[in-house]
Amino acid sequence: MNEGKKMRVLMAKPGLDGHERGAHVVAHGLRDAGFEVIYTGLRQTTAQIVNTAVQEDVDVVGLSILSGAHLSLSQKVIDGLKNAGAEDVMVIIGGIVPDEDIPSLKKMGVREVFTAGTPVSEIANFITRST
Amino acid sequence: MSDNKKRLKNIEYAEAEWKKNVLDKRVGRFNLSKSPTRFYSPLAVSNFNFLEKVGFPGQYPFTAGNNPFDYWRAYAEDAAKMGYRPDWGAASGVGKYGGFGTAEDYRDYLIRMHSMGRTGGPNMAFDLATQCGYDSDSPYAEGEVGRVGVAIDAFNDFATIYEPYTGDLEIDRVPSNFTINAPAAIIIAMYAVLAEKRGIPLEKLRGTPQNDILKEYIARGTYIYPPKHSLRLFRDICVFCTQHMPKLNINSMGGYHIREAGATRVQDLAFSMSNATAYIQAGIDGGLAVDSFAPKFTFNAFGGSMEIYQEIALQRAARRIYARLLKERFNAENPRSMMIRQPITAHIGCSSTTLQRTLNNLTRAVVGGMAAGMSGGMPGVFPPFDEPLGLGHSQEAVQLQLDATRILIYEAKVADVNDPWAGSYFMESLTDEIEAKSLAEMEKIENMGGAVAAIESGYMQKAISKSAYERQKRIESQEEFVVGVNCFTGENEMDVNVNRVVEATYDPELLKSAEDRQKRKLAELKRQRDGKAVSSTLAALKEHARDENKNLMPDICECVRNNASLQEICDVLRDIFGEFQQARF
Amino acid sequence: MKITKTVENSWQSLVDGVQAGNIRAMARLITQVENREPGWKDAMKAIYPHTGSARILGITGSPGAGKSTLTCEIADELVKRGHQIGIIAVDPSSPFSGGALLGDRLRMKKIFTLKEVFIRSMATRGTLGGMSQAARDVARIMDAFGKDVILIETVGVGQDEIEVVKTADRVMMVCIPGQGDNIQALKAGVMEIADLYVVNKADMPGADEVMADIYAMLELSSEAGQPTPPVLKTSALKNQGIRELVATLMADSTESNRHDDKEEMRIKEEIFSLVEDEVLRFLRRRWEENGEIAEAARQMIEQKKDPYSIVAELLNQFI
Ligand SMILES: Nc1nc2c(ncn2[C@@H]2O[C@H](COP(=O)(O)OP(=O)(O)OP(=O)(O)O)[C@@H](O)[C@H]2O)c(=O)[nH]1
Ligand SMILES: [Mg+2]
Repeated sequence: MNEGKKMRVLMAKPGLDGHERGAHVVAHGLRDAGFEVIYTGLRQTTAQIVNTAVQEDVDVVGLSILSGAHLSLSQKVIDGLKNAGAEDVMVIIGGIVPDEDIPSLKKMGVREVFTAGTPVSEIANFITRST
Repeated sequence: MSDNKKRLKNIEYAEAEWKKNVLDKRVGRFNLSKSPTRFYSPLAVSNFNFLEKVGFPGQYPFTAGNNPFDYWRAYAEDAAKMGYRPDWGAASGVGKYGGFGTAEDYRDYLIRMHSMGRTGGPNMAFDLATQCGYDSDSPYAEGEVGRVGVAIDAFNDFATIYEPYTGDLEIDRVPSNFTINAPAAIIIAMYAVLAEKRGIPLEKLRGTPQNDILKEYIARGTYIYPPKHSLRLFRDICVFCTQHMPKLNINSMGGYHIREAGATRVQDLAFSMSNATAYIQAGIDGGLAVDSFAPKFTFNAFGGSMEIYQEIALQRAARRIYARLLKERFNAENPRSMMIRQPITAHIGCSSTTLQRTLNNLTRAVVGGMAAGMSGGMPGVFPPFDEPLGLGHSQEAVQLQLDATRILIYEAKVADVNDPWAGSYFMESLTDEIEAKSLAEMEKIENMGGAVAAIESGYMQKAISKSAYERQKRIESQEEFVVGVNCFTGENEMDVNVNRVVEATYDPELLKSAEDRQKRKLAELKRQRDGKAVSSTLAALKEHARDENKNLMPDICECVRNNASLQEICDVLRDIFGEFQQARF
Repeated sequence: MKITKTVENSWQSLVDGVQAGNIRAMARLITQVENREPGWKDAMKAIYPHTGSARILGITGSPGAGKSTLTCEIADELVKRGHQIGIIAVDPSSPFSGGALLGDRLRMKKIFTLKEVFIRSMATRGTLGGMSQAARDVARIMDAFGKDVILIETVGVGQDEIEVVKTADRVMMVCIPGQGDNIQALKAGVMEIADLYVVNKADMPGADEVMADIYAMLELSSEAGQPTPPVLKTSALKNQGIRELVATLMADSTESNRHDDKEEMRIKEEIFSLVEDEVLRFLRRRWEENGEIAEAARQMIEQKKDPYSIVAELLNQFI
C-alpha cells in the first residue's frame, strides 16, 4: 500500500428500506478507523450506487439492507459494477440476512456478509485484510 | 425540628456511619475505586408525595397504571381454562399482523387463515413502495412490490383484501389495523370509501392506523413530504376522524422505533413525547377540543432494553409525563385523554436480541416480560427468540414466547399486584430521574421550535445516530457486556439449538411474480377508469393543498372513489409540499 | 451508463483513458494523483497540455448553507445548457483518525446518473497547501477529460478551505437568512476572494435583511472606483433564482485587469505550493536517511541546542 493511500468506502442503502442505524454506526466506525466513507443516504437506486462507486473510485461498496430484498439488490449492484468495468470493487453486505441466503450471495460475488451485532472493528479489519 | 426532619437527620447520620464503617472498608478491601452497587434509603426521595407522584391505579397521574386491572386480567383464569391463544386472533380483535404480495395473494391467505379458525380483523403490513407513496410500476418499487407487506396501488386493491370480511367479519364488527404513516390519509380514505360502498355508517368503523409520521423521519425512513406538511395532513386526518369516525383510533405513536434506531431511554421518551405534543397541538389547531380527540390517541410501545429496573421506571415516568402534559399544558379534563394506551408496555426491544446463541433471547425476553408485569402491563414476553435470525418466527419460538408469558401470569403471579415498586426508595428516585431528564430534553426541543423544527434541523436524527454509535463503541470496548457476543465466547461455551419450523406463511412463487401481476392490474385499472374524473379530482386536491386551512380528506376520498392511484395522489402533494431531505449526519 | 472495460493502472494508460473519455480511468487517475502515488507528476505533466479550457467555480459558505444543494441545481441547469460538469466536493478529514465522512453527495441525487456529470468527494487529509494543490490537480484531470465547468464545494470556515477555493476562477459565497451577525465576521479573509454573493434559502424569512447586510459590508470595504461583486438571491430547494445565478457565473468577466492580477497571483501561489511540497519531501528523505534530523533531535533532547540554531545549521548547506 502506498503511503498516501486512503481506503475509500461507499456506504449505501439500496431500495426503500429506511432503517439507517446500522449504516450510520458502520460509517462512523469506519471513519474512526481511518477510512474515507462516502455516505449517500436513503433510497438509492442500484444505478446510482454503481455510478457513485465508479466516480468515487472506492475500494469497497457496503450495502445495508434490512428489507429482505438483499438477493435481487446485490445482484443488480454486482452486475452494474461489472458492466462499468469495476468488478474489482469489493462488495460487502450488512443487515438482516438469513443464513441460507449467504451462499447464494457469495456465489454472485458478495465478498462477505455482516449480520447484526458484528463489531465495526471486525468489518474494518476484514476490509484492510482483503484489499 | 419536625418529626420527619428528625427522622431524616437520623438516617443521614446513619448513612454516613455506614459508608465509613461498612461500605468504604469493603470497597477498600477489594481494591476498588468505588462500589459496584448502590443502595437507596429514604434520603433518595425525601419529599416523596404519594398522591402527587403515584396515586392509585387508574387515577391521575397514572404512574401506578391506567387501570386497577386490564381486560385480559379480568378474564385470565377463564382464558387458561379455555386454552385461549391470542395469536390465533379473536373474532372481535385484530388478527395476526402481516401482508404480502398482491391484494389477491393476501386475500387468499386471509381466507385460508379464516378456514383454520384464525379470524380477527385485518392487521395490515404494507410493502415499502406503498409506505413511501410509490405505485408498483414506479422505478423505486423495483424489487420491493409485495415484499414486506401487501401492495396497494388503488382502491380496487384495498377492496380486494376486504372481500372475505363480510357477515360476522363485516367491517363494523371487526377492527382493522393499518401500519401506515406517510400515506395514512389515503388508506383511511380507502377505509371510509369501502364503508360507504358497503352502506356501513362511518361512525361504526373501528381500528387503528399507525399514522405516526414524525418518528419516520427520526427512525424508520418512510417519509415523503417535509414534516410540517405531514403534520398538516395529520391535522386533517385528526379532524376528519373525530368528526366522522369517532370509534377509530387516530394514531399509534411510539418510541419503539426511535429506540430501536439507537436512541437512549431518555431520548426515546423525550422525542416521542415531543412528537405527541406536536400531534395534540395539530388537533387543537384544527379547531378541536382536546378531549374530543385525545382519548383516541394510542401508543404502540416505547423502546426497551435489558435493564429491567430502568425499563420499569421508564413506563412509570412516561405515564406521569403524558398525564401531566395533557392536563397541565393542554387542559384536558377527561382522564382517558391523559392515558398512554398501548398494547404492550415494557419489553427488551428487538435490538437486545442476539444472533449469537439465539436461544438466550428467550431468557432475555422473559426479563422484558417481568418488567412489563411489574409496570402495569401484561407480562408479555417479546420478541420470539429467533427474531434476529431473519424475517419470520418459527412455531417453536412463538410457542415458547406464549408459554413464558403464561408462566409469568399464572405461576409467578407477576400480574397480581399493581405497580409493585410504588414507594420503593430506589424506584421512585429512578422514576423521578428519568422524568426530569426527559422533561429537560423536551424543553430543549420546545425551545428549538418543537418536534417539527428539531426534525427539520436533523437534531433528533443526529442525536440518536450518535447514541447508537456510542453504544456500539461501549460494546466493542467491553464497557458494556452482552453475553455470548463480547464476553463468555470461549471454546468451553456451547451453542444450544432447538428445532425450528417456520410455517411457510407466504408462497415464495407468489412473492416472485407479485410485481408483474400488480403492475398489470394497475395498467388495466388505468385503461378502464374514467381518466377525466381522475384528473379533475387530482386537480381539485392540488388546488386545495395550496390552501393550508383546507382539510384535504374530502378531496383525498374523492380521488380514491375515482380510482386515482396512491402515487398519483402522493405526487400531487409532492408537487405542492416538496419532498423531505434528510440533514447530513 | 457507459460500458467500459476494466482499466489498466499505469498512469500512462490512465491518462490515455482520460483523453478517450473513460470515466473509470478518470476516477482512477484522480485517486493516484490524490494519493501522490509514484508517477503522479508525470501524469500531471501529460495532462497539463490538455487543460485550460474549463471554467472553475468555487462555492463556499458556512456549514449547512445549502452549498451542495445549490451545486446540484447549478449543475443541473448547466447540463441543460449543454455543458459537461465536474464537481469536487471537499469535506474535512478527522484530525484524530485521518478518516472522513463525505456526505455532500446526499444533496446531489438528482444529478447522480446524468452522464454529463462527474462528482468526486475529497477529504482534506490534513495538509493545508496539499489539499488545494490536490483540488487543482483533480480539476485539471476533469478539464482534460472534457468537463468544461468544474464546481468546487468547500465549507468556508477554515483557512484550508479558503486556500482551496482560491484555486477557482470565480468564487461564490453562500449566505443564508438569519446570518446577519456573521456577515461582519466574514469580512476577514473571505472578503477578498468572493466574486459573487448568494443569499440562499430565500424561501425563508430574513433574506432581504442579509442582502442589506452584505451590501452594507461591501460598501464599507470596497475601494472607490472598484465595482462591487454582485449579490443574488436563490432558493436551491424551490429551484428559484438558479438560472440568473448560472447566467452571472457564466458571464464573461468584464473586469479583465483584476482578473489578470488574480491569475498571476494564483500561478505564483501554485508554484510556491509545489516547491514547498517538493522541498519538504526532499529534506525529509535526505535528513532521515543521513541521520542529520535524528542527531539534531538528540542535541535538543540533551538540551545542548535550541531549535532556532539547529534549523539555521541544517539549512546552512543550502542557503
Ligand atoms: N429552505 C431551504 N432549505 C435549503 C435550501 N437549500 C438547501 N436547503 C437545506 O439546507 C440543508 C443543508 O443543505 P446542504 O446543501 O447539505 O448544505 P451545505 O452547505 O452543502 O452543507 P455542508 O456541506 O454540510 O456544509 C438541507 O436540509 C437542505 O435541504 C433552500 O434554498 N431553502
Ligand atoms: Mg455540502
